[in-house]
Amino acid sequence: MGGESKYAGLWYVAPYVIGLLLFTAFPFVASFYLSFTDYDLLSKPEWVGTKNYEKLFSRDRTFDKSLKVTLIYVFTTVPLKLTFALFIAVVLNYRLKAINLFRTAYYVPSILGGSIAIAVLWRYIFADTGLVNMLIVSLGGEPINWFGDPTNALFTITLLRCWQFGSAMVIFLAALQSVDKSLYEAASIDGAGPWQIFRNITLPLITPVIFFNLIMQTVQAFQEFNGPYIITQGGPLKSTYLLPLYIYDKAFKSFDMGYASAIAWVLFVIIMVLTLIAFWSSKKWVYYAGDKRS
Amino acid sequence: MKKTFIAALLAASALTSTAQAVELRMSWWGGDSRHLATQEGLKVCGEKHGHVIKPEFTGWGGHFEKVATQIAGKTEADIMQINWPWLPIFSADGNGFADLNTLSGQIDLTQWSADQIEAGSIQGKLNGLPVSTTGRLFVFNKTTWDKTGLALPSTWDELMAAGPVFKEKLGDAYYPFEGIGLDASLLITLYGTQKTGMPLIDPATNKIAWSEADMVDAINYYQTLVDNHVIPSWKDVAAAGNVALHENPKWASGEIGGTYQWDTTYFKISDPLAEGQELSYVGLLSQDGQKTAGIYRKASMVFSISANSANKEAAAQILNCLLNEAEGVAAMGSARGVPSSNTARAALLESGALKPEQVNAQKLVLDATGPAIHPFMEHPDVRSAMQDNLELFAYGEIDAETAASDIFYGIQEALDDIK
Repeated sequence: MGGESKYAGLWYVAPYVIGLLLFTAFPFVASFYLSFTDYDLLSKPEWVGTKNYEKLFSRDRTFDKSLKVTLIYVFTTVPLKLTFALFIAVVLNYRLKAINLFRTAYYVPSILGGSIAIAVLWRYIFADTGLVNMLIVSLGGEPINWFGDPTNALFTITLLRCWQFGSAMVIFLAALQSVDKSLYEAASIDGAGPWQIFRNITLPLITPVIFFNLIMQTVQAFQEFNGPYIITQGGPLKSTYLLPLYIYDKAFKSFDMGYASAIAWVLFVIIMVLTLIAFWSSKKWVYYAGDKRS
Repeated sequence: MKKTFIAALLAASALTSTAQAVELRMSWWGGDSRHLATQEGLKVCGEKHGHVIKPEFTGWGGHFEKVATQIAGKTEADIMQINWPWLPIFSADGNGFADLNTLSGQIDLTQWSADQIEAGSIQGKLNGLPVSTTGRLFVFNKTTWDKTGLALPSTWDELMAAGPVFKEKLGDAYYPFEGIGLDASLLITLYGTQKTGMPLIDPATNKIAWSEADMVDAINYYQTLVDNHVIPSWKDVAAAGNVALHENPKWASGEIGGTYQWDTTYFKISDPLAEGQELSYVGLLSQDGQKTAGIYRKASMVFSISANSANKEAAAQILNCLLNEAEGVAAMGSARGVPSSNTARAALLESGALKPEQVNAQKLVLDATGPAIHPFMEHPDVRSAMQDNLELFAYGEIDAETAASDIFYGIQEALDDIK
């Protein structure tokens, strides 16, 4: 390999590395430092030691509420979304007529998913006079207060995220198609039914992909912002006030960037701990090709 | 001779114009009518002075955060529309924005009264020029009220009595008024201010002027309005999601019969109304034994120039054009209410660009009495202390006494934290 080509690779990766250092690594490190400061954006940060963390864990009721809501949201959204995505992937794995059309149609919400426009649309669909309530009333039911009732509001936001199941579904679909068909034939010959085949052959073989989706969707759910910000502004009674909203409000409304950084780091630690738990538990339920376990 | 002529020409050009043709940015918030008028103003003023001005406009929601982020990153627009209570937040020492006194060569400051200049100044530095004076007023959908046969109210008692009449004559969906969130906070503040004669936060001492009993009384009165079908409950309004009044179909259709709004938002709240609906300002409702009308009046938005702008003089030319010069004033029209600038106000009155409703509303604001407003009343943490606890009260999670106590605690904590 000549000297010129030796450095060519560095040039190729340079844009990504520079971007990573500038827009990810530096803010990451800076936010850790800022979490120990009192910083109002407009003047220089003042070192306050662990004061922000002490306040966070000792007398911030909003943080307690926001953390609780965030955990409920994540532990509801992720299993629901993964289950739904897997179900649709299994259905779309059958050889149906116009299957490619269905696959595309089911993926569309994920293309639109993160946009503000969809959040606004969601707001209109579930509003008191919206489409969902019109349907309920036309079927003889009573309209539901989706956004004004604290118990319903979080569910509505959860539905929005679950509706955007496309990316997880596509990954599941790819995994399903990679399962060796001879295993299905062998199981059928032995008299296994569809459920037994799915539970004992399909599911174990796609556990690496389930694990991957679990990690990705968990991280994404912890970072949810657009939906609750646009649809409910975190209300009512902070029932949809996820931690990213609290971080945003503290940073850009209260000008308490130090405190916001402390919350962000707590959120990071929570995500990291849950990810480590998932990795640790994966030894017991994730099966890779060539795995010697029986 | 030739050299002398060229030298004279150069000297003359240096003296007459210190602002070369440059590219500027201007940011503001508002509704559609304001966006259109301001873009037109920037176009004509840009052509007149030879500059290009890029517009950056949004709705009200999120604009504060946007400006805060830009100022922190020193990437703010050259000319900014700033909410008056933000001045001490962004410029505690007066150096957060350009001192417009130093640009008096480009801006005709004599068009504003000494009080108005004072309102835009911090520590003697003119940080922003008031575009207009604004105040919260009661405004009613006269068309809806006429259907009930009731005259528009002038007292709280009359408003209270209208609730059952609306329900009986127009149905459950119709309410004579509305008020949750910020509007609820300001209604409660108004009621208490009228009763006590004092602002909630005393601008002279930076302390809460009311007693907790005053706050409890005002909160309970608000609840009576809800109980009497005058104001839809917080929970019912929240059912529409996070929707501003002017985007609410119930406002457009006339189901909501009134609101408590800034007089400068006339077009914002009147534009969406269905054909044939008429708005009418009535000033401030009164109560027996009140000590003041309690007007919540302030300099409306101000126009400021960035302290970091590389083209302050050019920006000042454009600012002066928008606020004082005939072309700019005509293009801007009345989208920001009745102008504070004498020359602009006279020009718009003469041309008939100001609607009679706007002129009437402005008179109501200027004539009403009330204690001075503390700019920190609109500090995000103070607002949050009010609104979060009022919401808890409205949902029945806490009683009025607890709400008052927690509001006071939150406001005091915010005042202590504000540098």
